[in-house]
Amino acid sequence: MAYKIAVASSDGVNIDVKFGAIDSFLVYEIDDDEINFLEKRLIALDEENVTKTSANVNSKSDCNSSCNTNSCGGGAKGCGGPSGVTSRVELIGDCRSVVCAKVGFQAQKQFEKKAISVFDIECPIDFALKKISSYYKAIDGKQKWQANL
Amino acid sequence: MAKILDKQRYKCALGAMQTVQAIERALPILHSGPGCAQKLSDTNGSSGYFSPNIFPCTSINEKDVVFGGVKKLDSTIENALKVVDADLYVVLTGCIPEIVGDDTGEVVSRYADNDKPVVYAPTAGFKGNNYKGHEQVVNAIIDQYLEPSDKKQKGLVNIWADVPYQDLFWLGNIRELENLVREIGLTPNTIFGYKRGIDNINKIPEAEFNLLVSPWVGLSTVKKLEKKFGTPYLHLKTLPVGATETSKFLREVGKFAGVDEFTVERVIKEHEDYYYYLIERYADLFLENRVINKQFTVVADAQYTLGITKFLVNDLGLVPAKQFIVDDTPANQREAIAEEFKKLNYGIEAEVSFETDGFKIHDEIRNHDYHGYPLVLGGYYEKDVTEELKGNFLNISWPVQDKVVFDRAYAGYTGGIRLIEDIYTVAVQRFN
Repeated sequence: MAYKIAVASSDGVNIDVKFGAIDSFLVYEIDDDEINFLEKRLIALDEENVTKTSANVNSKSDCNSSCNTNSCGGGAKGCGGPSGVTSRVELIGDCRSVVCAKVGFQAQKQFEKKAISVFDIECPIDFALKKISSYYKAIDGKQKWQANL
Repeated sequence: MAKILDKQRYKCALGAMQTVQAIERALPILHSGPGCAQKLSDTNGSSGYFSPNIFPCTSINEKDVVFGGVKKLDSTIENALKVVDADLYVVLTGCIPEIVGDDTGEVVSRYADNDKPVVYAPTAGFKGNNYKGHEQVVNAIIDQYLEPSDKKQKGLVNIWADVPYQDLFWLGNIRELENLVREIGLTPNTIFGYKRGIDNINKIPEAEFNLLVSPWVGLSTVKKLEKKFGTPYLHLKTLPVGATETSKFLREVGKFAGVDEFTVERVIKEHEDYYYYLIERYADLFLENRVINKQFTVVADAQYTLGITKFLVNDLGLVPAKQFIVDDTPANQREAIAEEFKKLNYGIEAEVSFETDGFKIHDEIRNHDYHGYPLVLGGYYEKDVTEELKGNFLNISWPVQDKVVFDRAYAGYTGGIRLIEDIYTVAVQRFN
């Protein structure tokens, strides 16, 4: 059966974005051996929500833009805090797994609840999707597991 | 078809982390999923400088299954070397990395130049149980760490016995074997327990011969040592418990090592005199046949089933019912071990079954006519079935739940006395 995998990439070639810094997901559909790019899902930035979760944001006018790209480096939370994580998780709730450069504990737990696997690895998208799809094929019982694909 | 094993008496091969732990200042580094060390540890003297809760572990997860766990293993070893001060590091692999195909040997070989030795033993659960894992660990140390030595030390004997921690009495037993060997003028060398460790490992190649006291565990080790260092070995299948077997043990070791008979007999006499003095004092208790059971069954690993059966028949004069060996003894060793059960005094032979399924064992115990109440020596699993039959039960093999053992032993002359004490302590309680 076909399933989807969400990937975090800045250039469409490599997986190089941390979960907290993601502004869009690339969603691929895997059907047997076929891997097809399906769509790009943008994260709708809820302005109101950002100001609510952090009172400091408004006082620093330039923080908004930098915080959105800088993971959890800023006090305003690049990921938008717990609600930001939730909205991201929900955005790709129909995917079987998500691949990004790094992922925090908070997000990991939320994905676990939805039985979505998280792979935090930096490598080319092609490589990752081949590995993961082969793995799923094996655990779905469609082929023997090949360790050194 | 897959089968469910009822009441298994051993752990997976990764349980050999306890073998590493028994070597002072040796640290297991686990390449396994999170929780393996926790599940495999027992609270039977396994805390201390290193304990299962702090064993470095790669804690591999789904990502490592898909993309390989080699990087994580490398960083875990690297950092373990930095932060944990040990004399010997033993990398052990669990099931997951071995199924996935991580080349652990290659990663470990990167640390060949490290000033403290790092070795690697494949201990995936599907490769066997912790008896096998124990052999893997010891063999890995011999293969990957030890070098042949030109120096041979006259009278130095490496003693190999059963599996630390799996055998609750391991520490006491190995010390007792050391003492016996020392008393006939030889120098024992063992690697497990207090103040042994890496110094004694280094002495292994210098030994004059290897002494294996176990029905089958460690046979591959002494064979390996013979091949690598040219050290001959003496394999004694029976753990000597009580006077009959211990005296036999001393005579055989003495003969093999070329110790003069006079010395051996002097040591034997001294021990036997005291042993029989104790027995004599309690002869009235032994002869009061209401106290003890007519027939007994041992449910244990090959070491104890054989050792204790011989002791109870030869020294205590009890009659064996069926005996059970539950350690999944390799098929090619079974015949030779079963043969040993035919070499009992008074022409008595014991029937022995190599059975790992607790359900079947209990069925057989229930259906056997013990001519009265049975005496059952076994794992804690046998407690209920023995109580059901109103028999006497003594917990001597894994799992052990009802006693704490620091360094007591059942081996040797003293060990025999300890075992009699334990059995009769259980037996006399029925009448008081």
